Amino acid sequence: MKTDPQDWPERSRELSQLLARAGLGDRTAFARFYELTSGHLYAVVLRIQRDRAGAEDLLQEVYVSVWKAAASFDAARSQPLTWLTSIARNRAIDSLRRQQAQPQTDSLSRVDDGDDERPDPTEALVDDAPGPLALLSRASDARELSSCMERLTPVQRQSVALAFFDGLSHAEVAEQLHEPLGTVKSWVRRALMSLKSCLERGVLRDATRHESEA
Amino acid sequence: MDYGRPSLADALAAEYVAGSLRGPARRRFEALLPGHPALQAAVRDWQARLMPLTAALPPEPPPPEVWRKIETRLWPQPSASLADAADGLPWWRRLGVWRGLSAFATIAAVGFAVLLASPAPVLPPVVIVLQGTGEGQAATSSFVASVSGDGRALVTRPLVQVALESDRVLELWSVPPAGNPHSLGLISASGLTVLPRDRLPETLLRGGTAALAVSVEPPGGSPTGVPTGPVVFAGKVVL
Repeated sequence: MKTDPQDWPERSRELSQLLARAGLGDRTAFARFYELTSGHLYAVVLRIQRDRAGAEDLLQEVYVSVWKAAASFDAARSQPLTWLTSIARNRAIDSLRRQQAQPQTDSLSRVDDGDDERPDPTEALVDDAPGPLALLSRASDARELSSCMERLTPVQRQSVALAFFDGLSHAEVAEQLHEPLGTVKSWVRRALMSLKSCLERGVLRDATRHESEA
Repeated sequence: MDYGRPSLADALAAEYVAGSLRGPARRRFEALLPGHPALQAAVRDWQARLMPLTAALPPEPPPPEVWRKIETRLWPQPSASLADAADGLPWWRRLGVWRGLSAFATIAAVGFAVLLASPAPVLPPVVIVLQGTGEGQAATSSFVASVSGDGRALVTRPLVQVALESDRVLELWSVPPAGNPHSLGLISASGLTVLPRDRLPETLLRGGTAALAVSVEPPGGSPTGVPTGPVVFAGKVVL
């Protein structure tokens, strides 16, 4: 099923209900929930974990834990698609760590503890899936997020896109962009912070507009 | 690192959600999360900010065996939906199911004594969604009620906490096909309520209840035995 960013909140209502029913043991509701969300989730996981068999196993794990956690899902606190996507992304990022831990554990010990993941990210990047930047501009249909994304510098945007969509670590982003690790780190950090303050300004603007209308 | 500094906590939460916080730093952050409500809130905020980005990914339907494996792991016995799914399959696939069933029959015959000793299979619960009927917050929200398959236990839960005046409570009603509603008891506006089984009519899942409804009542519940306040949620019992 197609997920438009605009639909994100609308779809959430139906998904919240299905989750609540699943939390009470309703299997049909859970099957419907899977039907509505698995295409999106598989796409998210595949970007990070490119091995299809691995990605399928991951997806299975995610839905098994979602069934078990459905009763604790709090619709007042987060949107179901946000909640679900976060769980899947975390699992996918963890799977990269496990994969790497198997052959060589600490041979790549680094001074900085933030970046010690996959050895050869370039290999994983060769395919014809849309690039992270293309995805970012597509995601930009969500109005506020897009105008905030556009305010980032091109390198900031690219660093965030590589890290976010493809699950690359700072070190891998640095390698991709042929830039020093420290530089990339500060790009990502600054990009995220300016994204946040830009989004917050938007919320404030909406709030004041709402007040003046009222 | 001093995770207590708000700006640092926020920066780490951002990198954690964006996926660029990795290795030991990510593991330390995850270990700290359960004990730090402020960190959890920062993570939730960043998830709300960044996750909609993933909407740009073209959906990729997973192969059908993924769902089959999930079903097998969650509910090891063949479920109704598996049987339904088999109806749409070509005959040779159905043959597989059939073979599986006859194998099961053989095992069942052999292990009959064992089966007799084990508890009866649990019927899946019946779930009823009670939609908001009024205006305001309650109109867009809903309640979920789950009746155990044997009709002996009922659990309710609001999707979102229901805003009530401080001197008002919510009461759940069983609405028969004809005649007056029958009170099932008071239910929580914010969380799970398990209703005492002695309040449940024996015919709850056998046609005795056409619908469930929730009304707003004074403390202690309706003084008259029928709903006195507005009915704010209602849902049909579909068997």
